[in-house]
Amino acid sequence: MTSPEWLKRVAERSRSQPGMLGHVFGMYQSLEDRSNEQLAVDLACSPETLNLLALCIRPEGEAFLDQVKDICRRFEVKPSALVTVLRRVEVMEALEEDSSNESGMRTLQIAARDRSRNREPKP
Amino acid sequence: MNSPSREKEWDLHERMLSKDSTVSVDIVLTFMEPLVQALERNPGCSHEHAYDSVIDALFIYFRHPDRYDERRASLGTYLAQIARRKAQDRHRSAVASARRNKEFGSIVELLPAPPNMSVETQVEVKLLVEKIERAGLSERDLACLRLIVMESRSTNMMAEVLGLTHLPQAEMRRAVKRHYDRLMKMLKRLCEEDPDDES
Repeated sequence: MTSPEWLKRVAERSRSQPGMLGHVFGMYQSLEDRSNEQLAVDLACSPETLNLLALCIRPEGEAFLDQVKDICRRFEVKPSALVTVLRRVEVMEALEEDSSNESGMRTLQIAARDRSRNREPKP
Repeated sequence: MNSPSREKEWDLHERMLSKDSTVSVDIVLTFMEPLVQALERNPGCSHEHAYDSVIDALFIYFRHPDRYDERRASLGTYLAQIARRKAQDRHRSAVASARRNKEFGSIVELLPAPPNMSVETQVEVKLLVEKIERAGLSERDLACLRLIVMESRSTNMMAEVLGLTHLPQAEMRRAVKRHYDRLMKMLKRLCEEDPDDES
């Protein structure tokens, strides 16, 4: 199926919708300093599939694993890759909820960026 | 593209209520084009406004699927009603925005010129305002410029007019700075333009 021209637009808008996977992607990209293309590589999917993934309802609660499996089955994404993204954002949100813990948030961001740098191949 | 059958709509809504994570994709793919086409038939509704209004309606439904009562209307009709209201809001906002654009110059004119500003500089400011009005800037850009002119340039206020308040604080600051730098660059370019060049 060819991607309709408006798909990218809906995916972009999903970033401001907390109940959508696109919102999770937006937060993850901000935290990890990843572009759309890099996130697609992380999830081993095409940019078009990334846009479709962004339109999924965010998995949460007791049905979390079943929802992740459904998404991954349909869009042929590795569950471990998607869970990594979801869990990282959950941790960040938990820290953000504690509004008094601003230094903790900064520490997490620094740690996450350091981790990303360590992950890059050394020349 | 045809509207979906009632059975398909029921199935989609049932899946939505049962928290099927992928049904939202099917709903977007099913309803987007028919709803946009229907909305575009309304006078005054642009292609862009139609898409954005339908997207608004879909996200409202995703947030509160339980608000939809399938006994009262089909899902398509329900979404179309929300989208139409959103399109009307957009139209009203666009009309108000066009009016405010015309008023941009008057805001600048109302501000008293600093006592040490020469007549030449005042004339240049007036010319710059005219250029800004002709530059076809978006409402967001004009709103930012208004803040800059009014010396109300706090990051939070800029983020609000730019629609960036949903971003985490650090990213919001970076995004606001990017917009501010872009506007300053654009203003510089307008200042440097040859006043006789009307192209």
